[in-house]
Amino acid sequence: MLRCSLCGRRAVYDRHYAGVLLCDRCLVKSVERRFRRAIAEHKLIAPSERIAVAVSGGKDSVVCLHMLAEHLRLRNCELAAITIDEGIKGYRDRSLPIAKENAELLGVRHLVVNFEDAFGATLDRMVRLAKRRKTGLNPCTYCGVMRRSLLNQAARELGADKLATAHNLDDEVQAIMLNYVRADLSRLHRLGPIYSPREGFVPRIKPLREIPEKEVALYALLRELRVHLAVCPYAGGIHIEIRDFLNNLEANHPNSKFMILRMFDRLKPQVVRGVPEFEMRRCEVCGEPTSTNVCKSCELLKKLGLEKQRKTLIY
Amino acid sequence: MARITVTVRVFGQRGTRRLRLQARARVTDLLRSLGYNPEVVATRRDGKIVAEGERLANGDLVEIIPIVTGG
Repeated sequence: MLRCSLCGRRAVYDRHYAGVLLCDRCLVKSVERRFRRAIAEHKLIAPSERIAVAVSGGKDSVVCLHMLAEHLRLRNCELAAITIDEGIKGYRDRSLPIAKENAELLGVRHLVVNFEDAFGATLDRMVRLAKRRKTGLNPCTYCGVMRRSLLNQAARELGADKLATAHNLDDEVQAIMLNYVRADLSRLHRLGPIYSPREGFVPRIKPLREIPEKEVALYALLRELRVHLAVCPYAGGIHIEIRDFLNNLEANHPNSKFMILRMFDRLKPQVVRGVPEFEMRRCEVCGEPTSTNVCKSCELLKKLGLEKQRKTLIY
Repeated sequence: MARITVTVRVFGQRGTRRLRLQARARVTDLLRSLGYNPEVVATRRDGKIVAEGERLANGDLVEIIPIVTGG
């Protein structure tokens, strides 16, 4: 039997990148310590702030919700959960009840916002329209842009000071690599533990940023949290190739993911300097904040012929 | 050399399969033989999470849980 390098109990995890074996208790403690350290080191949350957290029902967001609820209980901070229902049949309809169940279990206010109400169509319908109109864009483009927009609107309407998302180490490193591959400096510079854009945007925080995806999953399993373990039916393309590349790299060269993250964090001040200043405006169509005349969501809706369907959400 | 037989189940899939491995094989050997990168799965043996370096024994029931989810 393999034993924990710290306490000698039965090991459940080989943390290859640190050269240690961990038991269930030491792994759970270590994950929670990293979560708290990220909040303290990057000043992600100030006392008495109102925090909104994006919860899909998947393992990362459920873990983030539980850890935030426990962390904020002692700090006089208010927490609310937001779930975006994109309308993905057989996927989101299964994770949504799990998000709801976890929020109820913790006594956290839970808000569900759906694509159909906001944009006049579910993601499933948008995908069909995109195919018919030959837009050449993949579902992740629509989903990512519109989900972020709705999350921001919902967090703002809730009066949240910060919006927490459950991006883990793997997500962040994948995003770094993707933006390198696409040479997209304007998106690259937004990555980091906290991103505070301009007026109209709720600052986004990532308290799980330094926790590998596998450790988030083990944490959920060891704490017996109810999570939705499934892959989005639309997942595909270059994201998956980058994810597989990074996982192979990590398996053969442990610590690679952390090294990519550390290097990016060191380079980030230069990256930020390379991004041209831009003026913040209001979208001419929906009034949401944007750097161009029309926001990305409205631009995509127009391509789908749904530009007249967009509604302003009031909660 | 003696060999062991383990039963493998993949979370979210129906049914199990039996696999013959070298005696003293580790969880990681089992995962590799099935084409899984240990980075993307968690493994339970007889209902308990196990480290991938753990050795398997004849008759073990191993459950593989794919942990890369979402989009």
